[in-house]
Amino acid sequence: MADIAQREAQELAPRPSRARRWLRYILADYKAAAGLVILSVLLFSAIFAPLIAPYDPNDMAFMMMGGPSWEHPLGTDDLGRDLLSRLLYGTRISLFVGISTVAIALVIGVGLGVMAGYFGGFVDTVIMRYVDLQWAFPNFIIAVYLVAVFGTGLLNVIVAVSLAFVDDFARVARSMVLTIKEEQYVAAARTLGASNNRIMWRHILPNTMAPIIVQGTVSISYAILAEAGLSFLGLGVEADTPTWGLILSDARSFISRAWWLGVFPGLFIMITVLSINFLGDALRDIMDVREFKERH
Amino acid sequence: MSDSKAATLTPSMARDLADARDFDPRDPLVGLDRHALSGPRLERRTVLRLLAASGALTAAHLMPAALKPARAADGGTLRAGWAGVGEFRTLDPAQINQVLLFQISSNVFGGLTHIDPLLVAQGDLATDWSANADGTEYVFNLREGVTFQNGDPFTADDVIFTYQRSRDPDKSIHSRVVSNIKDIEKLGDHKIKIILAAPQASLLVKTLERSSGRAMTIVSRGALEAMGPQQYGLTPVGTGPFRVTKHQLGQSITLERFDDYYDPERPKLDKVTIQPIIDPEPLAAAIEAGDIQIIGGNPPAPELIDRFEDNPDISVSTVPGPGFQSLFMNPWRDPFKVTDFNKPLDELMKDPGFMVRLAIAKAIDRDLYIERAQFGRGVPAYGTINEAMGFYFDPAIADSSNQKYDLAEAKRLLADAGYPDGEGFPTLKVIHTPATRRDVLIIKNILKTGLGIDIDLDTKDFPVLIDQFDKMDWDLCRLGSGGDFDPDDGLVDWMQTASKFNGRTRDKSVHPFGFFSEAEVDKLIDQERTTADLDQRKALVQKANQLTSDKVACAFIYHPVDNLVYRKEVFFPDESRIPGLVDLDRVQVA
Amino acid sequence: MSGYLVRRFLGAIVVMWAVATLVFFMLRAIPGDPLAAILFDVGDAQAIADLKTKLGLDQPVYVQYVKWFWLLLQGDFGNSIYGSRIEVSRIIMEALPRTLSLAGIAFVIAIAIAVPAGLISALRKHSALDHTVTVVAFLGLSMPDFWLGIMLIIVFAANLHWLPAIGYQPLSEGFWPWLSHLILPAIAVGTPFAAIIARMIRSSMLEVLKSDYINVARSKGLLSWRIIFVHAFPNALIPVVTVLGIAVALLMAGAVVVENVFAIKGLGRVLIEGILNRDYPVVQGAILAVSAIFVFANLLVDVLYTVIDPRIHYD
Repeated sequence: MADIAQREAQELAPRPSRARRWLRYILADYKAAAGLVILSVLLFSAIFAPLIAPYDPNDMAFMMMGGPSWEHPLGTDDLGRDLLSRLLYGTRISLFVGISTVAIALVIGVGLGVMAGYFGGFVDTVIMRYVDLQWAFPNFIIAVYLVAVFGTGLLNVIVAVSLAFVDDFARVARSMVLTIKEEQYVAAARTLGASNNRIMWRHILPNTMAPIIVQGTVSISYAILAEAGLSFLGLGVEADTPTWGLILSDARSFISRAWWLGVFPGLFIMITVLSINFLGDALRDIMDVREFKERH
Repeated sequence: MSDSKAATLTPSMARDLADARDFDPRDPLVGLDRHALSGPRLERRTVLRLLAASGALTAAHLMPAALKPARAADGGTLRAGWAGVGEFRTLDPAQINQVLLFQISSNVFGGLTHIDPLLVAQGDLATDWSANADGTEYVFNLREGVTFQNGDPFTADDVIFTYQRSRDPDKSIHSRVVSNIKDIEKLGDHKIKIILAAPQASLLVKTLERSSGRAMTIVSRGALEAMGPQQYGLTPVGTGPFRVTKHQLGQSITLERFDDYYDPERPKLDKVTIQPIIDPEPLAAAIEAGDIQIIGGNPPAPELIDRFEDNPDISVSTVPGPGFQSLFMNPWRDPFKVTDFNKPLDELMKDPGFMVRLAIAKAIDRDLYIERAQFGRGVPAYGTINEAMGFYFDPAIADSSNQKYDLAEAKRLLADAGYPDGEGFPTLKVIHTPATRRDVLIIKNILKTGLGIDIDLDTKDFPVLIDQFDKMDWDLCRLGSGGDFDPDDGLVDWMQTASKFNGRTRDKSVHPFGFFSEAEVDKLIDQERTTADLDQRKALVQKANQLTSDKVACAFIYHPVDNLVYRKEVFFPDESRIPGLVDLDRVQVA
Repeated sequence: MSGYLVRRFLGAIVVMWAVATLVFFMLRAIPGDPLAAILFDVGDAQAIADLKTKLGLDQPVYVQYVKWFWLLLQGDFGNSIYGSRIEVSRIIMEALPRTLSLAGIAFVIAIAIAVPAGLISALRKHSALDHTVTVVAFLGLSMPDFWLGIMLIIVFAANLHWLPAIGYQPLSEGFWPWLSHLILPAIAVGTPFAAIIARMIRSSMLEVLKSDYINVARSKGLLSWRIIFVHAFPNALIPVVTVLGIAVALLMAGAVVVENVFAIKGLGRVLIEGILNRDYPVVQGAILAVSAIFVFANLLVDVLYTVIDPRIHYD
């Protein structure tokens, strides 16, 4: 028992230091550092939105299309709701859409990719046939189509967008597995009689994480943009769910009369996506991920 | 939604056919003598009466003409945008059932008659006509020297050909419109006789009208044979002021001046391009940038109208619009369940389900709603009969209706029904189309702040919404009607137990009726549609309307207005301002 | 090489078939009855049933599939279920040039911006210019494309009147009418693509500039512009070509949204309208067309790759 515990401690030991090393790298890169700070602030305001937001985001109690003022720092929208409150609550939902979408896509995609890469043969063929099929479409178009099948709404949008991203993760994971499978330590584990499961979860998966983290980070930004695009096409979340994408797409007829309705939600999306991209870029450098495919 | 017809004639349609209002033998033509019905044009008094009879009298008729801007020069190109449509799949009169399409076909085709801004039938391809004493036979003299845009001469044979084509349900969706016409006889190359099965008030204004009728919009036999019906639908040939010279599907239609049009004074323009623009924002951008100079098609979104009025380059002309918009409540579902509306009102008022219905209807502050959702443009609604129907519209209903806004009373009703301050009230779903999203949000807010009840929005595309609505598979539904010129468009189509919009595909063993069924309403409507005396009909219509309002067939919200938007360089004369149409033959551009 | 091409081509065909099949069956799972919407005015359950029979929508799905597929093999995509039931192939053929024009112009604009930006960025590594290019590139990746489109309309069409706000003119109407209608939407579509290409060129140039043969060339005293444009740049382009397939994806996905902003009835617009109206044949046709473009563009990129990089051989 002590033996095992010690070994696990050894395995775990380098991790915090690696994380700290990454953090140092990130903070050294001013763009990534700025991204990290902005994302932290956004995350904070997402969690504490009910405390920070000055008003109920759905309360139509105010003047329609009132410009920015002390009472309403970012103005009010076409239905007389406080824009700042809506955007703060929107942070919650938009980040939730981004993160949960990527989490689902990552779990399914990495699972498929690792299985395909590790087992090879028939399993690989079946999985990769499917992945190739999905690869034949732009992700956004798959999401459009899936929303059409599932119907609109927050949950459906999340499912649709995450399924649309599955192939990206599957591909990255599979190619990493194929590379790692040939590494000596995997062969060593196998000769020592380790089970398939153990080899996959203990040896291969942790080593595929670097490119997947990078892919995941950037995918969050794509998911946020995808939600905005779907909302714009009328295939997005429920009408009264304040996501950035919906707030922005609802504003389209009013932008020329109330600039704040177009500018602020646009800025929220842009700054967030920018921060994530900066962070992802830094992570890529740190982890030395080269073969990285960017897709929309 | 007044009068589109099915592609095929089914047994149930045949049944409908027998008692459809267009050719009702008991319809209110009676009382007008043959001189009154003969023309080159109808007398104004007769016309108003006819209009009233067909329900087409609008407040616009009573308005003084606006000041006319200076006349612009002839010639030039007008760039038009058609709102709310992605492409014009067909312009074949036999196939179109949307206002936005016959707005175009009215510029390309001719008919025996054409309505003017007062909705009066004027001779178009007919120069004059006379009717027999009982109004069952009409003799028309046709205009001579008229040619189709492909050069073929227009004769009596073309009228008969069009009639034959429209009568065939395989070729035309309007076969019902002409089924009261027993026969059309050729009396000469330019003279015909129309024999009706029964007198019909709407013959001149509707059936023979070049745009709204469609059934007798004169088509070109030669062109149809030469290009086939599908191509004819894209680049049709008629006798109208403009000819279609190009049709890029989904992008634009080009109309050019037809040089041999029978009136050498018209059209004024050399060329018109029409672009379909489905979304409001590109539409607004296009007219602001001057890409387009006039907006046709569906009514532009209400939020754009203020924006256009603020713009010194753009004019907006507004007249009352024909239609109603409502919030429907499914009487088969709690908490507004009412399985029998056939009780006296005071008894009904004790039913908890009815109390909830009434509470919701009374809690909707229609003025606030119109201010916020329609940017102040609209008329509060308490029934299907709208202001554009002039003669039949009852302004007093705003005060007399059970649905009159009264928040305190609504709260009391809700509390008595067991939901004090909305406590314990279930969260209901309201189905609505993407276009009404914004306005349902406002209704939601009104109900939330007023009654403390919460509704969830369930946005559905139109096909899905209709599917659910027909099956009675919904809690609340935001829906309404447009193009209602006659009381029957609201009453017969919506408010009777057998109405076509009243739960048509529901499971009848589970739901004996759709969203509303009331025996007295059914009876009153049956009477009004066959009542000859106008004042009597008016009384019946208003009574039926009042009952549907008091017994909350649905929560009526508002009647829309009709806005025509064009840039200042466009001269749109009053004589062309026909509600619902965009006739460009007299339009000029500076 | 030719064996490889044939295999890739057949593979692409199989992918297309799988896409078509998947789309066919999934579309039938969409809730909503298009016929009820078409006949809303008529208000007759019987009429709906009759039209269903007429259109063959009352048959079992597998029968519909076999019929549809048989017709598809003959190049018949079916007819729209609305209006005068225009052939889907006609709708697509009308839409195709618009989408391809938009994507083409977007591509040209993106390359025209990205190549110099990427080169400058690489050659002046870590300079203020480099940082500016990087930030602008990331900004380009971070904007929702529809928002950029609306902003472009407001500034350049509605206010400055430099370019038309919306719509499309075919080339037959003249070069400038065609181009002027496409500039704003193409910028909206091409911006994220330009950002990616600029970043690719930058890193790929940096890689090449570090390599031995460049050092050798430099040691021979060749002029630096010669090194850059004759030796380094062509090699730096090789990895860029691999992202051209991605370019097609980006441009197509962008076109779907941006066509809606600019009221251009391209494939994207056809697809969205088809979905919203439940016009099955149109959706099927549009999806097939979009994926065909994508699949064959990728095929082309693979082939192109072998041509410009002699190190790669297929057998």
